[in-house]
Amino acid sequence: MALLTPYSKIPELNTATVLLVENEEQFQSRLADAIVQQEKDINVNVRLARKLPLPVENSETRPRIDLVVFIVNLLSERSLQAAESSLSHLGPDYFLGKLCFLVTDARCGAVPQERLLSVRRLAASHHCPVIYAEHQTEDGITMTAMRVLTILKVSAGLSPVATTALYLSTFTRCTFPSDFDED
Amino acid sequence: MDEQARAILQRVIRKIPNKKLQTALRAWDHLSSEQLESLDYAQPKWLFLENLISRCEENRLSLKDVTKLEMAYYIDNPSKGTWHAYQLFQAEGDAVSVNFTQFREQLKAHLKDVVRHVSVRTKKLEDGAVWIRIAWGDNFSKPNHLKPTYVVHYLQTSYVFVLNLMSKHKPFLYQALLLSTRHVSIKEAQLSSRSLTAMRDLLMRQYQQVFPTNQERTLKERNAPPSHPSIEKEHAECAERRHQMACEAFGDGVLPKLETAVYKLETKYRGNSNNTLNDKDELFRGVVMFSSSNLLESFRHCVSAGMAEGPVTPLLSSITQKGRNSFVITDKVPGAASQTPAHKA
Repeated sequence: MALLTPYSKIPELNTATVLLVENEEQFQSRLADAIVQQEKDINVNVRLARKLPLPVENSETRPRIDLVVFIVNLLSERSLQAAESSLSHLGPDYFLGKLCFLVTDARCGAVPQERLLSVRRLAASHHCPVIYAEHQTEDGITMTAMRVLTILKVSAGLSPVATTALYLSTFTRCTFPSDFDED
Repeated sequence: MDEQARAILQRVIRKIPNKKLQTALRAWDHLSSEQLESLDYAQPKWLFLENLISRCEENRLSLKDVTKLEMAYYIDNPSKGTWHAYQLFQAEGDAVSVNFTQFREQLKAHLKDVVRHVSVRTKKLEDGAVWIRIAWGDNFSKPNHLKPTYVVHYLQTSYVFVLNLMSKHKPFLYQALLLSTRHVSIKEAQLSSRSLTAMRDLLMRQYQQVFPTNQERTLKERNAPPSHPSIEKEHAECAERRHQMACEAFGDGVLPKLETAVYKLETKYRGNSNNTLNDKDELFRGVVMFSSSNLLESFRHCVSAGMAEGPVTPLLSSITQKGRNSFVITDKVPGAASQTPAHKA
């Protein structure tokens, strides 16, 4: 089983690569377009995948991946399961600020509350941030793309002001928040 | 117009939505264009009906003509009920030479032989479909025009589509159809749908199919370049394969619009978790029903999006391959129960 590791390849100059993992493949391509169109200063590569592990055939051509984003669609149970099972194919270095969860449909009333809780619990136990995204409007997608880009720049080492782990820890809740019990 | 004709006309007019009244009456072609223009289609139905009846009386229309109106409406709007498909088997030598006139005369004669009071009306459309409207009576009562049976048959094909057939009339219709189409046996085709065209397209294979032979070509055609050079799909090949699999099972392009597929399980329960169910010798009966506004499209999407595991199980792909949407699964097929997907499309 090939683990995906962040430091096994040499980084390219002025380039950042983000891997979007989504089981349904619905939101990722639109988000990818938004990300690519927004960033003008650096070269952003976006890789789209359904789940980890990634196919071995592509491993030669694949650049160094600086950030992994798991897109979890709360409307589907399978989406969370896929993200959960993919976690085990990531190298330990990713958990030091090169991984985040992106949750869609969190505002939808039909979503079971427990599912959102389990995503937050999963993220908290891996010390990763959770981003909530609106995927039905253009503005929402642009906004999400901006946030992903901000994190990506830091985790790719392109931002001079912040180091990854420190930066991400500002919006990570590492302990189970107390409202888990109250809900 | 007698009382019965009026009652039927009232029923028919009530069934037709206001928006479609004008087109239906025009398709009927029994009122002159002046008469059609003098009617006010925005009126409430009861008032409109009175006006319509007076026009009909001017033209001395009878019950026969009113049934034609109903038939014209059904021909234009065939999705007004659940159609069932029947298949004819073992054509006799002269089956290919049956023409419309011959078919019509024989069908009428055979039906009248067995049911004394029966009213049969037929119409052949330009696309070759023969529409038959049968109002059944019995030896003592007049034909009941309120619940007619509709039959659609394409001459020289082995399929018949039937709407509103009561089981007590089934043998009569079977016999008449067999004798007039020169076939030996007839069987239910286990296909039903609200959409007549969908059933026809499915059974007569009038939709775009994908065969494994042109795999290379379609794969290359569909390999569209990505929208941006720096976006790359890791699982592109997988996605291609899944899409190909979905298309081979369910066809490419627009699919016939089926709404449901029903699987009756008559198998033993196999599972690890529940011992009370496991040990029993008797069958674990159940019905799995898939429903969607366009079922085949949903299946294809499920498979090509990777929501259902590929390759497509023969249980699902046989909807298109065998042209059925009602199946009974028994234990003779090994592993049939475990293959049945539990999700709903």
